[in-house]
Amino acid sequence: MTCPRCLLQLQTLGLLGRSAARCVGLLRTPSSGQPSEPQVLRHFHPSPGSAKSRSVPAEFDRESHKKRNKSLITHDDLFEQVAQEAKTKAMFNKVVDIFTKRDIRRRGHVEFIYAALRKMPEFGVERDLTVYNKLLDVFPKEVFVPRNFIQRMFNHYPRQQECAVQLLEQMENYGIMPNMTTKVLLVQIFGEKSHPMRKYQRIMYWFPKFKHINPFPIPQKLPEDPVDLARFCLNRIANDLDAKVTVYQMACTEVTESGEEVTLPYIVGIQSPSQMELLTKHNPSRPVFVEGPFPLWLRKKCVYYYILRADPPLPNEKVEEPYDPERCLDYPLQLDFDLGRDLGDDESFDVEDLDEGPVFAICMTNQGDEATLNQWISGLQQSNPVLGQVPTLFRLDAGPQELDMLADIKSCHNHRPESELLKEDWLPEEEPEVMGDEELRRSQRMK
Amino acid sequence: WSHRRGSTEVFPYPEIGNEELEEINQLVAPVEKFFNEEVDSAKIDHEAKIPAETLNGLKELGLFGIMIPEEFGGLGLSNTMYARLAEIISLDGSIAVTLAAHQAIGLKGILIAGSEAQKQKYLPKLASGEHIAAFCLTEPGSGSDAASIQTRATLSEDRKHFLLNGTKIWISNGGFADIMTVFARTEVTVDGVKKDKISAFIVERAFGGITSGKPEDKLGIRGSNTCEVSFDNAPVPVENVLGEIGGGFKIAMNILNSGRFSMGSSSAGMIKKLIELTSEYAATRKQFNKSLSEFGMIQEKFAVMALNAFVMESMAYLTAGMMDRPGLADSSVEAAMVKVFSSEGGWICVSEALQVLGGLGYTKNYPYERYVRDCRILPIFEGTNEILRMYIALTGMQYAGKVLTAQIKEMKKGNIGLALGMMGKKLKSSFGVSVDLGLIGKDGVVHPSLAESAKKLEQNVSLFGSTVESLLYRFGKTIVDEQLILKRVADLVINLYAMTAVLSRASRSISIGLRNHDYEVLLANTFCAEAFFKNNYKMTQLQKHSPENNDANMKKIAKALLENRAYICSHPLERTY
Repeated sequence: MTCPRCLLQLQTLGLLGRSAARCVGLLRTPSSGQPSEPQVLRHFHPSPGSAKSRSVPAEFDRESHKKRNKSLITHDDLFEQVAQEAKTKAMFNKVVDIFTKRDIRRRGHVEFIYAALRKMPEFGVERDLTVYNKLLDVFPKEVFVPRNFIQRMFNHYPRQQECAVQLLEQMENYGIMPNMTTKVLLVQIFGEKSHPMRKYQRIMYWFPKFKHINPFPIPQKLPEDPVDLARFCLNRIANDLDAKVTVYQMACTEVTESGEEVTLPYIVGIQSPSQMELLTKHNPSRPVFVEGPFPLWLRKKCVYYYILRADPPLPNEKVEEPYDPERCLDYPLQLDFDLGRDLGDDESFDVEDLDEGPVFAICMTNQGDEATLNQWISGLQQSNPVLGQVPTLFRLDAGPQELDMLADIKSCHNHRPESELLKEDWLPEEEPEVMGDEELRRSQRMK
Repeated sequence: WSHRRGSTEVFPYPEIGNEELEEINQLVAPVEKFFNEEVDSAKIDHEAKIPAETLNGLKELGLFGIMIPEEFGGLGLSNTMYARLAEIISLDGSIAVTLAAHQAIGLKGILIAGSEAQKQKYLPKLASGEHIAAFCLTEPGSGSDAASIQTRATLSEDRKHFLLNGTKIWISNGGFADIMTVFARTEVTVDGVKKDKISAFIVERAFGGITSGKPEDKLGIRGSNTCEVSFDNAPVPVENVLGEIGGGFKIAMNILNSGRFSMGSSSAGMIKKLIELTSEYAATRKQFNKSLSEFGMIQEKFAVMALNAFVMESMAYLTAGMMDRPGLADSSVEAAMVKVFSSEGGWICVSEALQVLGGLGYTKNYPYERYVRDCRILPIFEGTNEILRMYIALTGMQYAGKVLTAQIKEMKKGNIGLALGMMGKKLKSSFGVSVDLGLIGKDGVVHPSLAESAKKLEQNVSLFGSTVESLLYRFGKTIVDEQLILKRVADLVINLYAMTAVLSRASRSISIGLRNHDYEVLLANTFCAEAFFKNNYKMTQLQKHSPENNDANMKKIAKALLENRAYICSHPLERTY
């Protein structure tokens, strides 16, 4: 981290260096015209009149073709030309460098910075602090610092201040914490009491407080492999340190006897020991339901999961274990007189405490049709044998990929024509439909 | 408890007759000699084994059958004398535990619940030490929870044997015990419903099917043999059932409750020995031209040790005397109180003794570190202190609840006359009208030099009574779940009992003019002053919404930590920017 004074010295040296090189350049190329071959620095200062009709610098791309048209180019075009090759950070930096070195007065820097801010997501650098600092560096230093009280009063260089504020705003939107370089740059460019500096101070007040505010943070880079992603999501939903994730099936393509290729989806499930206990205590005459798919949003990605649940037991079915006076060897577990808890000390009521029925297990899979979920249930049955006697009902919603299938199967229902529906574009069905009733699943489920 | 402990039980301090005293002193002398000369505690600790000669010596002294009646070959001594002998035996922790496991719990079952035939058959050999006993109750999945006992005893086809199957862990003397009291599940038919109940069996190693695991490598009491015992279809004759089939629970409770009181005197004996050794060192070592015994902090340590020893002795012998008195209700709660106080007091004192010696105490050259390691087991075995606190508090609450139920129900109904009466009483007490439990004054049982302390005790007791009432009003039956509150109640009860014991003993000492009775008065007063203050603090913590009570916060801290199963604060060196 360089201290502000050092950076200031570096800047002045840089300016000097540039002015020195300028003289050298001028000496070297006496003619003011388009250079025919690529040069390290081109110091051609056009008159203000022809500000817009500037030719693209020739050192644009050393190896490849040079652009020589003199037509009106907006700053967007600069980026788009580069974009036709690789859209990388290096290219982006290169364009910014070209702009900074092309004109000592940095004409049009405000528009350039706005254009660059717009193009950042395309180049994939929107989360990169060094790129933002480089963009801030495009502003000329010390020009916009107010020097007397009148300048200070009247919003000195408002457009530049607004541009810098927009830059900081984009940084804030992407959640990037500025660092010391940013502060030094802002001080050099705008001075201490400017709008961008204020915005910087506000960011630096709030962002540290917000950094760890999410008790369940999602990492920026989600795992690529769908099974790993499923593992992560299931642990996130279950939120239990004892829960175990089992991969019942990995995605693979199999060739069946008739020679067709069948793609089997991955099936990943999770269950914790307390859920297993709840399942053993479940009354076998009451059904369990497989419900889904429910969406889970992780930043910009939506994944779907299915649950195995049951309805809460009826109030008259709740059996309390009778008190066994011989349970504890050392002290009585229940006292033998008839006094209840005082109302003032009764903390058992909680508005949020709803009994929605136990959830026994959760799973995630590509393809949420009955066959796959059946496979999940049979996998579960290996560790929870009671599933063999309990009737399982499948209450599946139409998932995103299943709208095509639905059109075939349920032609009696009123559906919109699904032909142009894309995979990402799913329209949720309003009412959950009972896809299939699997009554009386017995142990022949075990495969 | 203010109701339970009537003055006549506790005052005067129980005494034993002159002949008994002589008898005890005669017994004590050879035992002391044996322990001082022939027991090499360091060697026992190092090799994790008690040598056979030592065991033989103990058998000859008759220490294997102290409480077995003389007709079966034992010494037939009372509880008080057992406590006196325990003071000396505790000089070596491993021997103390081996003997206690043998007689205080191992053969107690036969003594309490055995039939004449069983007693005739087993007690003589056990008393002479030819056979050693063990007590098998704990299992890997079952500590205090009797419902999770897995060991099963099934009736064989010829209905003459029970076949025992299962494993028991942490059985003292398990490696070489010949007679074991084993608790297992049996099927009983109660009102036509088949249930599983626990029964007690006397199992001999000679029956076969019994294997012992390898001895556990422990931190302290290394000479005592602790191992796992497995039963594989061990045949137990039907005659060997202790008590009745299905009655094992009560037997287990009785055995466990009766063995506890001796811990008071054994801790006291150990502390007294340590005081001797440590004060020797403190008086001779000099720094800055002063001996250690002239420094205040060292003196405080010795005072703490002396106080603890005094209180432990008083409580232990009071309880033993109460147990010996014929026709009295069972004093298992008092025994539990003695155990809790002594185990914690012993641990603190032994630690302080080591501290006085500093670095020397930490080395193996001196016995202090062995005492510290041996003492660490005291709060754990024979009922962990947490469990015993729950027992003490809940037994009292049960009694108080029964007595106060009607009154509290009336209060809850909002009877105006009752409310006015209560307010009147509260106003009177806030004006400083003293409580008179009959301890001091013209017919008082406490000596006038202890009047101050007795007044403090009375105040504490009355305030305690109203605290218990308010707790029952607030929580009722659900107080079973409020462990932190019950812990404070138990601590209060223990302190009150200790104060009573101490006052009783000191009064007797003055009245009959024992040597150094003024020292006892000093100890008694000091202890009562400290305990009074602590009791008052605990009682203020038990008030509703009291700011001194941190329970809610503690539970919150613990909950967040246990959910994450780790310490959840960020590191102090972490940065966010």
